[in-house]
Amino acid sequence: MAKPRGTDGSLLTSLPWTLAALAFALAPHVQFLPMWITGAFIICAAWRYVIEQRRRPLPSTWFRALLALTCFVGVLATYSSVSGVGPGSALLAIMAALKLLETRKRRDQFVLLFISIFLVMSSLLREQYLWSLPYLVLAVLLIMTAWLRMSATEQESASRSFRTGGRLVLYALPLALAMWVFFPRIATPFWAVPIDTSSGTSGLSDTMSPGDISSLSLSDAVAFRVAFDATIPQPKDRYWRGLVLHRFNGRTWTGNEPMADRSARDNVAVIGDPVAYTITLEPTRQQWVFALDIPYTWSLPRTSMGRQYQLARVQPIDQRVAYDAVSYIQYRAGVELADMYHEWYLRLPEGSNPQTAELAQQMYAAAGSRAAYIESVLQKFHQEEYFYTLEPPALGRDPVDEFLFGTRQGFCEHYASAFTVMMRSAGIPARIVLGYQGGEMNPVGEYLIVRQSDAHAWTEVWIEGVGWYRVDPTAAVAPERIDAGMSAAMFDGAAAAWGLSAPSEFLHNLGLSWDAINAKWNDLVLGYGPENQNKLMEWLGMEDPDWRKMMLTLIGIVIGMVILISLLLTLRYRAPRSDRAAILYRTFVRKSGVLQTIGETPVAFAAKAHSGSMLDDDAIDAITTAYLAARYGIPDPQSLQQLELHVNQLP
Amino acid sequence: MSSILWPFPKGRNSPGIAAAANRRVQRWAKKRQGTDPTITRLQPGRVYILPTGVGLIYALMSFAMLLGSMNYNNNLSFVLTFMLAGLGFVAMHQCQRNLVGLEMSFAGVEPVFAGQSAQFRVAVSNHSKSARHGVMLYSDESVSDVHDLPPGESKVFTLAIATDNRGWIQLERFGIRTFFPFELFRSWAWLHMDLRGLVYPEVADDAPQPPPTQSAHGHRQHDARGEEDFAGLRRFHDGDSPRHVAWKAFARSGQLLSKQFAGADTSSQWFDFDAVPADDVELRLSILTRWIIDTDRSRADYGLRLPGQEFSPAHGEAQRRQCLEALAMYGLDGAHG
Repeated sequence: MAKPRGTDGSLLTSLPWTLAALAFALAPHVQFLPMWITGAFIICAAWRYVIEQRRRPLPSTWFRALLALTCFVGVLATYSSVSGVGPGSALLAIMAALKLLETRKRRDQFVLLFISIFLVMSSLLREQYLWSLPYLVLAVLLIMTAWLRMSATEQESASRSFRTGGRLVLYALPLALAMWVFFPRIATPFWAVPIDTSSGTSGLSDTMSPGDISSLSLSDAVAFRVAFDATIPQPKDRYWRGLVLHRFNGRTWTGNEPMADRSARDNVAVIGDPVAYTITLEPTRQQWVFALDIPYTWSLPRTSMGRQYQLARVQPIDQRVAYDAVSYIQYRAGVELADMYHEWYLRLPEGSNPQTAELAQQMYAAAGSRAAYIESVLQKFHQEEYFYTLEPPALGRDPVDEFLFGTRQGFCEHYASAFTVMMRSAGIPARIVLGYQGGEMNPVGEYLIVRQSDAHAWTEVWIEGVGWYRVDPTAAVAPERIDAGMSAAMFDGAAAAWGLSAPSEFLHNLGLSWDAINAKWNDLVLGYGPENQNKLMEWLGMEDPDWRKMMLTLIGIVIGMVILISLLLTLRYRAPRSDRAAILYRTFVRKSGVLQTIGETPVAFAAKAHSGSMLDDDAIDAITTAYLAARYGIPDPQSLQQLELHVNQLP
Repeated sequence: MSSILWPFPKGRNSPGIAAAANRRVQRWAKKRQGTDPTITRLQPGRVYILPTGVGLIYALMSFAMLLGSMNYNNNLSFVLTFMLAGLGFVAMHQCQRNLVGLEMSFAGVEPVFAGQSAQFRVAVSNHSKSARHGVMLYSDESVSDVHDLPPGESKVFTLAIATDNRGWIQLERFGIRTFFPFELFRSWAWLHMDLRGLVYPEVADDAPQPPPTQSAHGHRQHDARGEEDFAGLRRFHDGDSPRHVAWKAFARSGQLLSKQFAGADTSSQWFDFDAVPADDVELRLSILTRWIIDTDRSRADYGLRLPGQEFSPAHGEAQRRQCLEALAMYGLDGAHG
């Protein structure tokens, strides 16, 4: 076969498969990659294919070097760093594209297939959906078929390579499953996982300005899921505490202090029954950990409670985590408040929002007591014309003044902020709590879905003899938000006015079922960590599972399975059990007096024997048929007997 | 075969420890297996297997992926890693099974002239019910074509072995190997069938003219092919004198033809070892070889006289083979077979 200059001449049988494997591996990255990288890959792939098909020479070395330099500079310019999944996959894509242009030999395709494996792996590091499992199995199948095509002879058709690849992948699956189940999982990473800032997740931040939370209210993304052990608290009690803000600059609340404070829990006196639940928290890339109201115990390692009863983990939550927690809905918290802190929670920036301060003092004077004052502020929100809206108007220099006396349209952060300022102006210590409120029960999986749209801000005030006490001013304006949840408040009611129609019941239920499947998937597959593994091992009967026992079991099972596969292959590649047929046939050949050439088929030999042998034509045919049946047909003792009979009758 | 597939240097031309180790292993295999009959079925115990360079890279990559999966605690990339690891195990067994049970039989080797390569032919039969893929034969210095073997079929593989000297060319050991399925492993078997083929002396390039023909009447003629009586035309062969080319016919038809003369038919020619105008024994044998193949082409009778051996004039395939064999074995004590 004529080989074009500089190539193996056989790439056309394998190159399309290699290209397909690469494209399949690259597909999940496309939405994250800059357009020019995808474009460069497509152009290089098409170009390379045309070169192969028309047997053109490859582009010259200096051109490729220039292209490589341009592309790497481009990647550096697009991404600020070269570590992390984003830049890593961009570099892999560029490497694949450039490598294609210098692929001359079969061996170069190995590199391309290794790159596709790494691309698949990096897409799994980026996101792990339910479809990621079938995706990766298909990707492996495609890559392995391309691998087979690379060394396939020209007689071998593509569909047969595909079947062979499928068979080998099928053999490998049980092995992979066993290794997956028994390979000991460890809790702590070896090296710091680089935080990928290129794909930020939406969620609460550690500051609160007007408009921050309302921007989340349209996001359907799941913040966390909660499975309750027994009692499910009422919707109005489902306050999921995340951060506590106490510093105010007139517009923005900051000052969450997640530092561990061992004494924090000591000044909480719990009342009533505990609520036990498990939270599966989606990655936030932030430190804080959500829990119902004030948590009492929690199972997440390296997580501690700050002074204001908020939880935070030492490392950010960059992967989905699940933890058990116990909370009390009724409590007395922080009855004693040191003077220093007392002063903290009263601080307001000098000269900001002067109208609010004036109003607060008037109302406090009129109310007489702290409790009556709080009640009168809530009444003001409830009775006067204040509106709860997703799209509050923008606010200027003194946002609380403008909101209270001007626009009167706000989301939970406006009310919480205004209420807290009113409290502080009247000398009542108060702070903002950020978190989520409510959540939707999924009847399919019996768990609560808390979405980003459930993000909420409320106020805690400190009252002598009572301690920190939650007041939610939003409840005064839009009680349905608290009682029925965010989606009800928005979609069924007022939201229709903004052109948002409630999704049909059927679609909504379908979505809930899908979410339930995903929750199971997260729990069983993605969340298979040290804890779940220990539970499974114990369930399987292993006492005190540790990594040594698991490793030994793993090795035992893998050896067993490999032996099984070996037996299967032996069976598959077994030669006929007895060579009796061959011996008889050789006797026949000897007696025929005709020379059998090497590699001659029995049928061809029979034709030769018809003319060249003294033997009877019928005997030759009978022996040939019986021999073929005995040696290559379905195993059947009768055909061997036939052969024996005929050969013994020969003169 | 590219070195990435087989990281260890092979054969006699590799220097150093690796070559010594290789020779030791081969000696051990030979001692273990003994000499094989010319029909040999590959038993599992003699099919060896080692990872290739690609296989080592693959293992390294799988290990790196395992570390990555552990670090990220990413269960799906664990799945990917373990699938690749599983495929590695499966490939290992598949690779070995791809050879086990094949039946190898020697299918002969045609004699060649020294300097040409001897084509050892070996038939490989697959008696099992599954196809074998990407099988090739190899020796220290050459590799055959790669073939697939569908169930129940046989293929003849050819190993080209370079020859330097006349006499017997031996192929003590050759191998059969496969990289199927993923070239991660190299599975092979050594066979010691003790094969040998005959090598005729090298054909002299510029041989002197053969001695004059003795005609039936006994007088010596000027040329072996008498030019007196033009007998006809035949296709030009290497070694025909350019003086005999029918240039006019060539101009007409574009075909090179040689003129034949009737004088040759009635003559018988003796090629005498002692009468060859050369000093060196090998050169004499080469010149004799040249004369024999040239004369054989013209279908003239010729005889050969070697010290202690004489072949009376005749022509045809048998005469040619007999004479060339005698020349090939002249002075060598290795008797036939």
